[in-house]
Amino acid sequence: MTKAELHDVVMVGAGPAALAAALYTTREDIDTVLYEKGVIGGLAAITDWVDNYPGFPDGLAGLDLSEKLQKQAERFGADIRLGAVLKITDKGEVKELETTDGLIQAKTVLIATGSDYKKLGIPGEEEYYARGVHYCATCDGAFYREKRLVVVGGGNSAVQETIFLTRFASHIDLLVRGDTLRASEVLQQELKKYSDKVAVHFNTTTQKIVGKDNKVTGVQGVSTKNGKNVNFETDGVFVFIGLLPNTSFLEGSGIALDDIGMIRTGDNLETSMPGVFAAGDVRSGATMQIASATGEGATAALMIRKYLEPHTH
Amino acid sequence: MPKNITVFTTNTCGYCLMVKKWLSAKGHTYEEVNLDTNPVRQQEAIALSGQLSVPITVITKQDDSKEVVIGYNPAKLAPAVA
Repeated sequence: MTKAELHDVVMVGAGPAALAAALYTTREDIDTVLYEKGVIGGLAAITDWVDNYPGFPDGLAGLDLSEKLQKQAERFGADIRLGAVLKITDKGEVKELETTDGLIQAKTVLIATGSDYKKLGIPGEEEYYARGVHYCATCDGAFYREKRLVVVGGGNSAVQETIFLTRFASHIDLLVRGDTLRASEVLQQELKKYSDKVAVHFNTTTQKIVGKDNKVTGVQGVSTKNGKNVNFETDGVFVFIGLLPNTSFLEGSGIALDDIGMIRTGDNLETSMPGVFAAGDVRSGATMQIASATGEGATAALMIRKYLEPHTH
Repeated sequence: MPKNITVFTTNTCGYCLMVKKWLSAKGHTYEEVNLDTNPVRQQEAIALSGQLSVPITVITKQDDSKEVVIGYNPAKLAPAVA
């Protein structure tokens, strides 16, 4: 049997946290492999526009930022592989990782798998997935030229992507469960510029997505103010109601998670499995910002370097 | 090896970029149809996939049969282009 390849660090995910960490580890000549099962750059890569990442005074497209982070990490030797890590097992001095390419071993692991958008869990959502129900505006918005849309959510992503969708849609109903938007003040002000196209409906829950002839035709909701049903005619629904951590592959690994499935770490970003670290949106207590993810990535890299020191003697 | 591969994309779609990267990494050439610059082909994309979503990868086999893979899904792309 061929011996599994051994690396100093294997990073699970290649979003901003892992790419920043890889930049640091490779510059320390730490042999670094990243596995990405989705998009290099993570959610940042499918975000239309990023205005709050330091160093870019005019902002930049999320896809551009991701490509810059990738190039910078690869410049120093990061090996980014397109594949998934399916399981992590503690073998003491090394960790064994089952990947879609086979078994590999690592002296340390950084889990930076980030989060994905939550689903509503309402009737019609699954039935019309990708045929009227979407979670990626930058991917699917172009199919709604001069069409009506509903966007569900009230945070930064919902508002940012609503603004993006105004490029295509003739009208957007933004359904917000609470009585205010949770998005940043800057985004809220920006949204006001599109008041001719966007109607914001506060205190509105989303109950059902309805359709006919294989197409979405509307959204049924309820006003939490008066309990009355409200209906919105639409050709499509985009959902941005928060994030869920990508940690299902850790089930049975022994790595401690919090109540909502995010990875618990100590101050040094090490998880309950020695030599396994976590950074970015998947870490319990994360602030879900690209800037903090890259910062945590850098910190994790320095902690990994420290961990590797006695282990290389 | 397939006869040809067509990828329907948009300018802003990160998953489209991943499909293109994956195909290139595996040594495949492809034709790209960008629906932002070529919106008249949108109906063709919808007819092929039955969905309102990109990326859509259409693999034409040697016997002219077609296989359609929606999204960035290496587990489906790999056997389709084999």
